[in-house]
Amino acid sequence: MIHFYHVTKQFDRYSTALHDVTFHIDKGEFVFLTGASGAGKSTMLKLILRQMQPTEGQVVVNGRNLKAMKRSHLPAFRREIGMVFQDFKLIERMTVFENLSFILTVLGLPPREHKKRVYSALRAVSLNHKMNAYPLQLSGGEQQRIAIARALINDPLVIVADEPTGNLDPNLTQEIIQIFSEANLRGSTVLIATHDRELIERSGRRVITLDHGRITDEKIATPQRAPRVEPLFGIGG
Amino acid sequence: MPPREDTLPKNTLTYFFREALRRMWVSKRTSFVAIAMIAMSLLIVGAFLLVAENLGRAVVRAEGKSRVNVFLAVDAPPAQISAVGNWLASHHDFAGTRFVSREVALARFKQSFSNLNDVVGQLDENPFPPSYECEVAPAVAQSPAFAAQAAALRALPGVDEVQFDWEWIEKLKKVINLVNVAGLIAGGLLAIAAAFTIANVIRLTMMLYRQEIEIMRLVGATEGMIRGPFLIEGVLQGLIGAAASILILLGAFLAGQHFLAPRNSLLWGFLFNGFLPWRKLLALLVGGMIAGYLGSWMSVRESGEEGP
Repeated sequence: MIHFYHVTKQFDRYSTALHDVTFHIDKGEFVFLTGASGAGKSTMLKLILRQMQPTEGQVVVNGRNLKAMKRSHLPAFRREIGMVFQDFKLIERMTVFENLSFILTVLGLPPREHKKRVYSALRAVSLNHKMNAYPLQLSGGEQQRIAIARALINDPLVIVADEPTGNLDPNLTQEIIQIFSEANLRGSTVLIATHDRELIERSGRRVITLDHGRITDEKIATPQRAPRVEPLFGIGG
Repeated sequence: MPPREDTLPKNTLTYFFREALRRMWVSKRTSFVAIAMIAMSLLIVGAFLLVAENLGRAVVRAEGKSRVNVFLAVDAPPAQISAVGNWLASHHDFAGTRFVSREVALARFKQSFSNLNDVVGQLDENPFPPSYECEVAPAVAQSPAFAAQAAALRALPGVDEVQFDWEWIEKLKKVINLVNVAGLIAGGLLAIAAAFTIANVIRLTMMLYRQEIEIMRLVGATEGMIRGPFLIEGVLQGLIGAAASILILLGAFLAGQHFLAPRNSLLWGFLFNGFLPWRKLLALLVGGMIAGYLGSWMSVRESGEEGP
């Protein structure tokens, strides 16, 4: 579903975000992308959404070579991707309902269906009671969940999320990962960029690790058990 | 094959209008400037059209009659006057002959130019000559045979001058053409200026919504979907401006008809005979919408996703 072939992204002579990166994510996979800040995670996601083009190499998403894709086909392509941006990218002058409903307008769904679908998407992130609020009236965590609801509202083929749990407490983080897992079970391919090591270790999913623009590791995370607590004074166990 | 970028969802028109109206409301002041510019330019075009329309109506009325005025010498004896009358009666091309005495001519002048009554009152004697008025069919008036008859009429004793309506009708037609051309040039130039004003207003609005436009692109909105509300905004500004210009023109016309026309019946009656026909009003509205559309199109065509 997502294929990078020897992708290099250079911004200028002294700044290279990705060096000869090659990896493949199959349809229906759930993959974490990790690495320290500045490792190239966001650049990779921008390349997937064709916010930018690689300096060298090819990016193929859902069978489309993004370098060769005509600009006129870009909107339809982007509608197949549910993107959760690190800075949320919610439209401030629109209410939560309008932010989500706009996606459905773009998709051409009749207005009578908007309320039902928006409500359902907001309920999934436990924010159905904030339908009429404006983004700036919400906390960072709430805005993040609205951005997730927006990305999931049209059951996209690919879900790409940039630090989607960055502003959430552990309980909400688990809830959100559960939402992504359910979308994955419904058939969406999921790629989540995060540096939350604990979240990745618990997941048991494939992990691609980036360091200074290079893939340094690709493995399946092994779910770690909680450390065994020895019986205290011979009681318990 | 994915749908092309210019494929728009079915319910987008409602979205376009809602967004365009909302943006106009948010940027009330700048929208007002654009609307005022359109209204001013179309008001000038409309005023020229209105003058030309009323002059045109006068021409149509006059052309249907093709009147001939045979002015006699002020001191023409009754015998000469009746001889001219008999000559006109014996020539069938001159129909409906009426004699206008000097007194009737003076009375008509007083009625038509009531504002000059004081001047006329100061005259020692009636300066108007007696005359005959008759009708000539327009087709007959164009024939060479009629020209010979007109020459014979001019040569009759006591005849001072023979005036044919179609001579001034031709002059009036030229004036009408001039008024139309002047109106179109002045209005056209102002409409271009108005279109540029709208272009700048839309450009400002697009700057205001830059972040929002970027988000729209990232979530898969087509360029048509992004640009649509801005184009509709320009069209609406043009339409409102045109409607405002028509209302102002109508107000000025009704005021003129009410206050000016009765006092100076001939001249103002001439100019305030009737308002613009619906076709020309429609043309003004469409003109405003086109100017608005062109203005916003100039701005939105510059916008587009940066990068490859």
